[in-house]
Amino acid sequence: MEVSHSVKERTIAENSLVILLQGLCNRVTTVELRDESTASGRVTNVDAFMNVRLAEVTFMDRQGTLCHLDELFVTGRNVRYVHIPDDVDIRATIEQQLQAIHRVRYFGGRDKGRKEFPRTKHR
Amino acid sequence: SRLSWLDNSGLGFSLDYPTISLHAVSRDLNAYPWEHLYVMVNAKFEEDNAKEAPMAEGEEEEEAEDSDDDTEPIAEFRFVPSDKSALEAMFSAMCECQALHPDPEDEDSDNDYEGEEYDVEAHELGQGDIPSFYTYEEGLSHLTAEGQATLERLEGMLAQSVSSQYNMAGVRTEDSIREFEDGMEVDLAPAVAGQFEDAEVDH
Repeated sequence: MEVSHSVKERTIAENSLVILLQGLCNRVTTVELRDESTASGRVTNVDAFMNVRLAEVTFMDRQGTLCHLDELFVTGRNVRYVHIPDDVDIRATIEQQLQAIHRVRYFGGRDKGRKEFPRTKHR
Repeated sequence: SRLSWLDNSGLGFSLDYPTISLHAVSRDLNAYPWEHLYVMVNAKFEEDNAKEAPMAEGEEEEEAEDSDDDTEPIAEFRFVPSDKSALEAMFSAMCECQALHPDPEDEDSDNDYEGEEYDVEAHELGQGDIPSFYTYEEGLSHLTAEGQATLERLEGMLAQSVSSQYNMAGVRTEDSIREFEDGMEVDLAPAVAGQFEDAEVDH
């Protein structure tokens, strides 16, 4: 799970529920847009501004016409809903994302000897 | 700060990023005969209004959606590049540009994070003004003696692993050095440089 390289974005994510959406990376789900079109696909990235990137997308426009898109980027402003798949453990996902952020933040340890979080290898 | 599309003769037009709702790469030839970059814009374009949307013949197509209800106007653009392998780069570039234009009307994002970098850990420690990351020069001047020693040891380890062409476990070299500060798991414990030289690394 990739954490943003931006301190500002990490801070924003840590303090809002967008962190849950960031935990949906690699999951397939549906995003409903403000104009009532929908995009179903695999989440590849969600940033702190809720811009969502999807791959292998089935897009249904507001008229109901379907089309297939290889990659789609929706601005956060235009997202109305993001469906959370039923098998996602919401609390665990949020906690994992917070841990990922803390691993980045406390990289290298903060003072000698004290290791607040267990050193786990990526993935 | 704008998306611009020009044909060979220099004729073209621009879109402002904040008006772009979404963009996508479409390779579905059943839906449209050419692979293209699809862009949905939250604005009205009139086909006979040459000022707003001059057409570059054969290179882009514009479909304006009639909004006969109260919903916002939508315009759809399909950019068909002459070289379709450029689509990925075009898509990625637009993603990056969109990320640079966050929604100015967003009331949910906390404005305390604008300007000075807000540092959660410094706040928790009661040291509100300490930034959580430093530029190179600033960072060096903040290093304690121990920090300096750690830095020298790490740089020594990196230099060794590059020259001996081994990948030390957890230490990525060359173009990953740039990402060194981004959460890569590095075991700082080895007291002996070169300890991992004979390790079989399985990534």
